[in-house]
Formats: sequence, C-alpha cells, structure tokens
Amino acid sequence: MHYNKLILILIFFLTGCYQNETMQKKDYIFGTIVEVTIYGETEDNATHAIDLVFNEFHRLHRYLHPWEKSIVQDINQSIKNQEIYTTQDEEIFSIIKHNQELELKTHGYFNPAIGKLIQAWGFHADQFATDRPNSSLIDNLQRNLPHMSEINLHNGYIGSKNKNIQLDLGGYAKGYALDQAKKILRENNINNALINIGGNILALGLHGDRHWVVGIQNPRKPSPIASIILKPGWSIGTSGDYQRYFIVDNQRYSHLIDPNTGYPANNSQSATILFPPTESSGTLSDVYSKPLFIAPERLKYSLAKELGIDFYMIVMADGKISISSSMLNLIKWHEKIDENNITVH
Amino acid sequence: MKKLMKIILQFIKKIKIGDLLTIFIFIVLTGYLASILWNFPQGEYLKIQMGKQVIGSFSLNQNVIKIIEGPIGKTEVIIDSGKVRISKSPCTKKYCLHQGWINKLNQTIVCVPNQISISIIGARTDYDSLNY
Repeated sequence: MHYNKLILILIFFLTGCYQNETMQKKDYIFGTIVEVTIYGETEDNATHAIDLVFNEFHRLHRYLHPWEKSIVQDINQSIKNQEIYTTQDEEIFSIIKHNQELELKTHGYFNPAIGKLIQAWGFHADQFATDRPNSSLIDNLQRNLPHMSEINLHNGYIGSKNKNIQLDLGGYAKGYALDQAKKILRENNINNALINIGGNILALGLHGDRHWVVGIQNPRKPSPIASIILKPGWSIGTSGDYQRYFIVDNQRYSHLIDPNTGYPANNSQSATILFPPTESSGTLSDVYSKPLFIAPERLKYSLAKELGIDFYMIVMADGKISISSSMLNLIKWHEKIDENNITVH
Repeated sequence: MKKLMKIILQFIKKIKIGDLLTIFIFIVLTGYLASILWNFPQGEYLKIQMGKQVIGSFSLNQNVIKIIEGPIGKTEVIIDSGKVRISKSPCTKKYCLHQGWINKLNQTIVCVPNQISISIIGARTDYDSLNY
C-alpha cells in the first residue's frame, strides 16, 4: 500500500523531468554566438550529431578566417605578392566560384573581394575601430574596387593580376556553415533541429507538433520586434547596423560597406529575408540580405524580385518598415506597429 | 466556550521558553521565506551567459550585484527588484552600459567584447531562437 503511494509520487516527479524534449549547445565561433537545438532525439544521438556540427564550425572558422592564419589569408598573401597559389583543395575552388557567381547575381552589392575596404574601416579586429578612416584612403580603395571575377581559377591554381583583391568571406561563411550543418545533421538522421549562427537561422523539420518559431530583433531595442515560423528546411537571415558598428559624431558606421561608395550603407537599419529550402538556402539567406540592406531604396524591391526573394522585411533608416506581402502573412508582431509606418510590396 | 478557554490557559501554562523560541523562529522563517519566494513562480528570471557558458539564472525579485569574469575583465550586473542593467564593463565602447535598464521578457543586453549576454527569461519564451 505504501509502495503504491511511493510509485505515484515517483511518476509525478519523473513526468516533471521528462520535459527535456530538446537538447541545445551554444558556443562562441565566427566571432559570434552559435547555437544548435535538436528536438526529440536520444541524448546519445543528439550529443554525437551536435559534436560533429561544432567540429565543422570550428574547422570552417579556422579555414575561412579573414584576418588570422587560414587558407583565405594565404591566398590573399600570394595575390598581394603576385604569386600563384597552388592547392588540391577542391572546397576552396567551389567556394570562390560560388562567391564569383553571387557577386554577379547581386550586381556587385555583395563583393567579398573588398577585404581592404573592410579592413580600412576597422572591422578586421575583435574590437572595432573608434574612428573614421582617412577619406582619401577610402576614395582610393573605392576607385580601384576589385571584383571576384578578376580571380583566376585553373586546375589547382588560384591567382589574380589585381593586387587590390583581398578576400573576406565574412558575409558568406556563416551561411555556408548553416548548409554544412544541415548536411551533417541529415547524414546522422537528425530530422528536427534549429541552427543559429550569429542570428542566421536554419530550421530542419519541426519542434514536435509545431513549427520552429524565431524572434526577429528590433534593430534599436534589446527585444524582438516580431516572430515568425520557419517551416522545415527554411532559413532566415538579417543584415543589420546594430551588431558590428561604431558611432562617431552621432553618425553610425556599420560593417556593411557599399562597394559603390566605399562607405557604410546607411539607408536601412536592418534587412531580413526568409529563404525556402534549397541546397544552399543557408548561404543565400546570409548573402542575399546584404544587397537588400545596401542598395538604395528605389532598387531594393526590383533587386529582391530579381534574386527570387519573396519574403523580406526592411527597417529603413527612419524606422519605417517595408515588407513583402508574403512575409506580412507569416509575421507575428511583438510590438504595436503604426499602420502608417508600414509599406507592403 | 469556557472549556476552550480552560484548554488554552492550560496550554499557555505548560509552554516553556524553548517552545516560545521554536514558535518565534517558525514565524520569522515563514515571513522571510515568503518575502523572497512569494513572487517567484509568476516573476521572471535573469539569465547570464559568458560565451557558451550559462553562468546562471537569477530571480529578478532581489537587489543584488553580480560580477562576471569575461575574457577582457569584470562585468558588473545590477538586479534591482524587477529590473536589470550592466553597471560596469571593461569594454571600450560601453554600448552595454548605454542600453540602460531592461525589465521585460526577452529583452537582452549583449557585451560582445567581453562575451557577456544577459537576458530576461520567463518560465517559457514564445520563440525558440532569435534572428538578429
């Protein structure tokens, strides 16, 4: 009789413990916070898969680092010395090739060859600059703007005649890492997971009987402006001026440099896009948010159409919101938004 | 009624100093626990993280100063009955200080240089992760 009570009490407590349907790991990689959440797996399976994913993140961090020892730095050094870089590493060829295509597709708004400009603005450091660079230096770098197409790839050789090229894959690496993580999780039969690399998020499967839900940060407040569901395989990416930036004389300088001017783009606070599942949807959700952030307002919407971005929300510099109708259908506001401040496209 | 009074009188006569002490301690302890725990379930918590490591979750219903050791130095966080701010930071820009007080669910202050993030959490958030 007493045992029955004991068992009842035990059951009560055990059901309390069995709330851990998700397993999560966080780490600090790519200069930002990385978080992987797995739903509904045994602890062993989830831990194993998470370890594999984080190993890959650490590898990519070392492999693509823009200003520490990496293959990217080695390539930059040989281009600077006007030497030809020789390697049998096929991955770097496909990455550079993909970046060449993306620069063309985005009409140069995404240009990973402008490492020198980004460095001149002081964003090649863990602590950002506190001052504006010399304007003649910026103008000079902008006049001699290098392009990805000037990099020659040929059977194990990488080289360029343009000494101004300095690869910086900072706008590509996090998205690429999302796609790599997606592959690893699928290979390990993990069907339900959420991967967040510095705010760029990719969803796999579901959270139990519901979709994964992500909050979208308000660019000027430390709280979410809205939340949105991520269907299986979808990803979300934001380019914003509120994480990597500095302020001098009340003027905000973000890390998103407009290649056409050489100066940080300042017509938007943030550009968020949602991307449907494709092989490189993680990469594209990271890369394609940049042209939408940087391009002048009159070009943003035609650019979105051309790039096949159906789901986007742009918070303009004055705080007004431009949003696509498909995005508006999915979004759930967490703040009261004045209708006069929303434009639907 | 008289009977009841009699019983109570007898009881009081029997009470020793130790009994009084026990009752007194019981009342003080109850009052003290109630004062710190009363709002706990409805109240919210502050989650402090340093890089990948969760330093801990603390009730907002208290007045304390927490000092967290990050890669570049000590960050000081003040919890002041329901609201929280970063009060000292070793970073150069002090953006985290300028964020001021936060007190609502899901508000977050991040100090990137010192890898510290503090966020207000409830028993349950209404999203799984944050896009920023």
